[in-house]
Amino acid sequence: MAEAPLAPAAPLLVVDSLDKVYGSGDTATHALQGVSFEFAEAEFAAIIGQSGSGKSTLLNLLGLLDTPTSGTVTYRGTDIGSLGKPRRAELRNSLIGFVFQFHHLLPEFSVYENVVMPALIAGVPDDAELRRRAEETLGLLDLEGVADKNANALSGGQKQRVAIARALVNRPALVLADEPTGNLDTTNTGLVYDLFRSINEQTGTAFIIVTHDRNVAQRTDRILEVRDGLLIADERNRYIGWGDVPAGARRRQPV
Amino acid sequence: MLPLRIALRFLRSAPVQSLLIAAGISVGIATQVFVGSLIVSLQAGLVEQTVGSSPHITIRAPDEGDPVTLTDDIRTLIAEDARVEDGAIAAVRQTSALFTDGEDSAPLSLKGGDLAGIDAIYSLSERTVEGTVRLDDGDIVLGTDFAEKYGLSPGDPVRLTFAGREAVRLTLTAIVDLGAAAANERQAFVGGALPSSLLGWRSDEYSAIEVQVREPFASAEVAAAWDGSLRGLEIVEWQEANADLLSALQSQSASSYMIQAFVLVAVALGIASTLAISAVQKTRQIGILKAMGMSDARAGRIFLWQATLLGVGGTSGGIGLGYLLLWAFSFVPVDFAIEPEPGFIAFSAAVGIAVALASSIIPTRSTSRLDPIEVIQGG
Repeated sequence: MAEAPLAPAAPLLVVDSLDKVYGSGDTATHALQGVSFEFAEAEFAAIIGQSGSGKSTLLNLLGLLDTPTSGTVTYRGTDIGSLGKPRRAELRNSLIGFVFQFHHLLPEFSVYENVVMPALIAGVPDDAELRRRAEETLGLLDLEGVADKNANALSGGQKQRVAIARALVNRPALVLADEPTGNLDTTNTGLVYDLFRSINEQTGTAFIIVTHDRNVAQRTDRILEVRDGLLIADERNRYIGWGDVPAGARRRQPV
Repeated sequence: MLPLRIALRFLRSAPVQSLLIAAGISVGIATQVFVGSLIVSLQAGLVEQTVGSSPHITIRAPDEGDPVTLTDDIRTLIAEDARVEDGAIAAVRQTSALFTDGEDSAPLSLKGGDLAGIDAIYSLSERTVEGTVRLDDGDIVLGTDFAEKYGLSPGDPVRLTFAGREAVRLTLTAIVDLGAAAANERQAFVGGALPSSLLGWRSDEYSAIEVQVREPFASAEVAAAWDGSLRGLEIVEWQEANADLLSALQSQSASSYMIQAFVLVAVALGIASTLAISAVQKTRQIGILKAMGMSDARAGRIFLWQATLLGVGGTSGGIGLGYLLLWAFSFVPVDFAIEPEPGFIAFSAAVGIAVALASSIIPTRSTSRLDPIEVIQGG
């Protein structure tokens, strides 16, 4: 695959008429129906919806973990549907950073090894340069001095920040975060969102944060709402920072 | 080499589990090495005992009482066959005699010939218990049981009578242990001239020509090759005469192969189940690695490496343990020496590693099929 089709001239992501059906015949379940939207480089958005709304299905499709029943997902001009499984795995590694609700660190490995794992999967040599890159990323997340600890030795908030460092180490174009603060207290939740925002501003990495919590979504620039497999709202949102802000202070713009 | 690095870490993160399975492989391979070497050495010992000190091939006349004329053709045929053990050719004359010491008498079977050939086949010098083996005119060598029964020592006179002939007085030069009671009681060796004169045969006429070959199990092949050239003569080889022993050896080999095969099956099942459990235990990790972009093939290789590491580690330990068992067995008083068989041990090692690799097929497959979505959503 040449570099050209993934050049940032096209939108980062174009989702067109996405359908996902599980099962067939009478038992068929339409998890997603006709979902379409575009997503620019360096955008900072949330996908909201209740449990079972289809937002996880959408995330799996955006994350190249799953393939649509019909419709297309296009990253920087490349239709993902045309790619084989190994190439999708490669793109997932280079283009996307994942942050899950559960930190999903590898307990057998040190913090450093967990952070650089996506780089090692990409074939980056485990040398001083990678070490420097990892420590820089850990520094960005206020995690100095823990690189050589076992991942299990950290607190819940620290683990989630290590997972974020891991998602960023390959300098992805997009971070997909699935309920990234679902397991954190208010203080850590605020910290994580401020981090996302500052990384987004500093590095131009796009973020899509999947959440069922509208209060969380309000801190992003754009809210995509999924209900019963349909994209029912796509709104521009003014970032208001983390903290208690009166509901009326929000300004909304239709797209 | 990332799959290898991850495999090593997975193994190290569960050291007890890893050590137990490696120990299981070790015990299996050690059993292979020990049982295999034991059986091979035991059989070699039995064969050596049976035919190590007796002729492998005997050429004689079709009628046992008739002489064989040792022609130049026969000499050349035997001497030029590279499969024949150096010097282990004896042209012998056999007759029977009656030993008498005034009170008692006992039958003896006399075998007469040159000392060099007879010694090469029957190992008389090695088997001497008393005296020094000599087979000149007037000398006789007797078995231990016979000598003991009649109170004979080297230097003593031995009086033999023959049907219709004058008695002969010989001198006992050595007492030998021929390895079997029947031989020790009845067999006697004398110089070649005595039976020749008794039988009234010419100087080129013999009862039999006895030969040992370098590789005892080649005797049938050698005998068959000679059979074409030696028309009108009977060629007897030891395997034909010891069919019972050979079938016993074959049964023993078959049962040892069975034991070894079942040990390997047990080892394979052990590794397979441990790897399968390990694959289940590491499902979450594999799912995360795949979500981060590790390909199915590479993820599968993690378990292939685990199997390889366990197989190589366990097999090395097993060979060490096998040698230790062989060494310990060297202190057990048995009448054969157990020798490690390097070829067989290399084979066992190859089988051990192959079994480990084969056992990784199931976890490797299930790993490459694992869908990361199942893992990351389940938490």
